[in-house]
Amino acid sequence: MSGAPTVADKALEILLIDDDLDRAAAFSSALDSSRYHVSHLVSSRTSLLKEVDQLKPDIIVIDIESPDRDILESLSTLSSFNPKPVVMFCEQDDSQLINQSVQSGVSAYVVGDVPGGRVRSILDAAVARFQQYQTLKQELNETKNKLESRRVIEKAKALLMNKKNMSEAKAFNTMRKMAMDSGQKMEQVAANILSILTTLDAQD
Amino acid sequence: MQQNNKTQLQLGFVPLTDSAPLVMAKELGFFQDEGLDVVLRKQNSWATLRDKLQVGILDGAQMLAPMPLASQLGLGGNHASIITPFILSFNGNAITLSEALCREVCQLHGMPLNSLPLPLPASLLKAVIDERLHQGRPLLKFATVFAYSSHYYQLRQWFSDADIELGTDVEVQVLPPTSMVAALHEGVVDGYCVGGPWNAKAVRTGLGMTAVSSCDIWPDQPEKVLGITESWQQANPDTTVALIKALRRACDWLEVVPNRFEAARILSSVTYLNADLDVVAPALLGSCLVHHRLDPRTIPAYNRFSSAGQGGDNNPDPAYARFLLNQMVEAGHIQLSQYQQLDSEQVFRADIYAQALQQVQTAVL
Repeated sequence: MSGAPTVADKALEILLIDDDLDRAAAFSSALDSSRYHVSHLVSSRTSLLKEVDQLKPDIIVIDIESPDRDILESLSTLSSFNPKPVVMFCEQDDSQLINQSVQSGVSAYVVGDVPGGRVRSILDAAVARFQQYQTLKQELNETKNKLESRRVIEKAKALLMNKKNMSEAKAFNTMRKMAMDSGQKMEQVAANILSILTTLDAQD
Repeated sequence: MQQNNKTQLQLGFVPLTDSAPLVMAKELGFFQDEGLDVVLRKQNSWATLRDKLQVGILDGAQMLAPMPLASQLGLGGNHASIITPFILSFNGNAITLSEALCREVCQLHGMPLNSLPLPLPASLLKAVIDERLHQGRPLLKFATVFAYSSHYYQLRQWFSDADIELGTDVEVQVLPPTSMVAALHEGVVDGYCVGGPWNAKAVRTGLGMTAVSSCDIWPDQPEKVLGITESWQQANPDTTVALIKALRRACDWLEVVPNRFEAARILSSVTYLNADLDVVAPALLGSCLVHHRLDPRTIPAYNRFSSAGQGGDNNPDPAYARFLLNQMVEAGHIQLSQYQQLDSEQVFRADIYAQALQQVQTAVL
């Protein structure tokens, strides 16, 4: 699996959270003279959020047993951070867990001691997989938004037909004309109509 | 027990005071009496505990009460059918403020420490927040242990009763329980909502004041539950019943106050919480430490291991699930439609609990 060309040339910042100093050193040296740059932290640092904010890592690598994993998980739920690919170290060989984790927020899963030569390809694959996942999520969101905007337009159209005794075609054309005249999107016009008509209604 | 049911189990727990039912069922031989060979596995993170349970590395685990619901909704990870047939504990959390924040509250209201009302209303913090805004100082920062946790919802509720909005007027972040006291000490946070022994620890070390307990915010709501996957329960119906019986005995045993001190001694050990007895015992004995210069508050229900009232039990009533889902909606974690689509009875399995209890009663007859 290869990453998009735009990414392949860029230097990537890795935040490594691991209490096992030997493993951390081996990991870092495996990435010497590659496009990856490693910053190492031991876990249970109260300032992890600040470090993520300052370092703006492209990838986070963490031991699955680290208490800081809950902080990372909260990056996408509680804070305004953009989601990032996360690679997990694990001592336990459990292929089922590997497959499952890869489907969720975790981008890759590394079991046991990794030969130096493989570290780079694992990271490359994790970045690529993460981008695929984000693209998929974005498409899903766009579909959702499209559906939502269609719903708003339909609702405004029904309101115009109901309150202003317009035909369906007339209601639709009225909104389209308003959108063209004001340089707004149809959805915006529909939302305005809804809020004006319902406010007036409430005051009646 | 049927041949195909598992009897050698790995159960996950997080080293907190309310892991008492699992620890005591193991230590007092209650699991063994039910024919179960249980190994308790200490976990450092809720997310990792959840993932291990989902994929079967753990057979069962102590979970935050909202976690089975969050898993069913696919929040923060995979969708997984995690169910709970047993409530392990009620209450047990508290909100602790840093010494510096306490001083700020006292100064602004012209009150000495010993005249602050307890439980502290968040409205007293409102003035501090407004004053800081006026002076252009940063927002107050609070921590909880997990996004989908009672801690988060209790903190949100306490603040919102004083028209303070979490995330807007006060910053909120996640920290592991083991990092809370250090974060308070370093000034990384101004306060937190956490379970025992981490509130008592801050008070004993003179770093903070426990302003309000979760009993003051939501009396008698579930805090920790036993989580298992639906497929595991279907494969091991007899083992599920045996687990419920053993845990029920442990919770009954924990109802007796003198037993609580014995539980505190065992929980303190290196195997479990690895904490001093003087921070583990108070909450178990109904004492809420407040501040190193003030007397503790008497809160008998500070840690409960069965529901309030006569003949309390551990029934995972779906009404509890609906209460939590409502909190999730109010916090903006889920849409109302997600709440409406989730069948609470499929997650909080009162039916399995009732079945286990029936067997206990039949055995007595």
